Amino acid sequence: MDAPVEETRSTNEDDDHDDEREEEEERGEVWAWSWGAGTDGQLGTGAARDEHLPQPLSLNPLSSSASSHPLRVSRVACGGAHAVALTGDGRVLTWGRGIHGQLGHGELENCLQPKPVQFFESFTVCSVSAGWNHSGFVTDEGHLFMCGDNSFGQLGTGDNQSYNLPVEVLFFASKHVEQIACGMRHTLALVTGDLVYGFGSARHGQIGNSVSKPQKSCNLPEVIQGFGSCKIVGLFANGDHSAALTANGELYIWGRGFSGASNDLHPRLLHSSLRISQVALGWHHAIVLADGEVYMLGGYRHWAASGSHVVNPVRHQSVPSAACAAVSDVRTLEKVSCLDGERVVQIAAGAEHSALLTERGKIMTWGWGEHGQLGLGNTDDQTFPQIVNIPNWRSFASTLGIYCGSGFTVVTKSV
Amino acid sequence: MSYDEVEIEDMEWSEELKAYTYPCPCGDLFQITMDDLRAGEEIARCPSCSLFITVVYNPEDFADKPQKKTNPQPIAVA
Repeated sequence: MDAPVEETRSTNEDDDHDDEREEEEERGEVWAWSWGAGTDGQLGTGAARDEHLPQPLSLNPLSSSASSHPLRVSRVACGGAHAVALTGDGRVLTWGRGIHGQLGHGELENCLQPKPVQFFESFTVCSVSAGWNHSGFVTDEGHLFMCGDNSFGQLGTGDNQSYNLPVEVLFFASKHVEQIACGMRHTLALVTGDLVYGFGSARHGQIGNSVSKPQKSCNLPEVIQGFGSCKIVGLFANGDHSAALTANGELYIWGRGFSGASNDLHPRLLHSSLRISQVALGWHHAIVLADGEVYMLGGYRHWAASGSHVVNPVRHQSVPSAACAAVSDVRTLEKVSCLDGERVVQIAAGAEHSALLTERGKIMTWGWGEHGQLGLGNTDDQTFPQIVNIPNWRSFASTLGIYCGSGFTVVTKSV
Repeated sequence: MSYDEVEIEDMEWSEELKAYTYPCPCGDLFQITMDDLRAGEEIARCPSCSLFITVVYNPEDFADKPQKKTNPQPIAVA
């Protein structure tokens, strides 16, 4: 993955490369690259196999819809083994594992390439999320639609029936949903008025514990209490973790504890003086972005195995608090080093790997790499962020977006 | 080393796979069969990667029990 490969490229290889580019152009403009675990079609390449290096995805298959103007993907939500792409004009494409109906095409089959979800042709969708086997969609009118596995009530429909077409969550019919976040088996919804609702699995406290008697799951939305008067601007869910970001850059976390800590059955404020701007949750770690720098909580295969977390640990000082003193040792954010001082502009987390974009458009990955999800051409783990090489990335460095599913990674280019 | 510890009640029975399953971070499923559990096995493996989990369960719940008489004796009614 190191630069010398580029420098030693022979003239012939250059020609090959040009041919490759021409072929790509013939197939249509590249709008994204994907890599990692791919056996359910979650890479959208048309092949059901793992890829250890970035694979280009072209626009042609997307343009085959009735619409005359090409689709522009603005963001992608990646789940256990499927992906949900949202276009700039509010349409939705899905691909990958579909056997629980999570793609919303009215089928129970995998789909190896991005395919428009026809159900939303007369809607404008503004927020999407993908869980292990379920998907959520919020329209500009504040309606919430869900599809996929409902075994734990994670669709919020009041039953435990799975749906292969998006179904409206009628609980919110008279409310205005703004955001949706899907975890492994649970879902969070942000409703106008700063109300956070949770539904689905409750085993680790991931949908709070607002009810008087503890329950394993809940198939109807319930309010999650404990944010005080804070304005919530972002909701996050993955694995059995949940998080909410406030307008002041404070982070509440609840659900399964990190690094073996006990579960938090109620939102708990992460005591830190950082002003957090972005959050990404994995199954055993959380990463946050604050002032262009990345910090991590927990982490599996993200650190050197020496027992001390990093070679040069830069421990961010927690603000002491009586309430969190007992757990401060496992709730400390560790700074992710080796970024050469370059500011980070975007972060993403898969189940056990992480990815980031720097202000100069560098794509970097680290963590668990067994399925090639780091995009470095091998299956090694990495304890520090490593640069992923995408041909000609410099020409569109400022327009990239990065997203992680459980074992795969997608980078988009705004076109 | 075990990737995680998972209680059996957090696993889902798959009729298709004839196994209890739990999501693996690679996208596939950790799996353990009823026979494994009866035999006291506590490792559930993922067919797609090197990871495995430790399943927490009460062996007595799955241990072979003496064959119960499932059919009640027919009662002569005539």
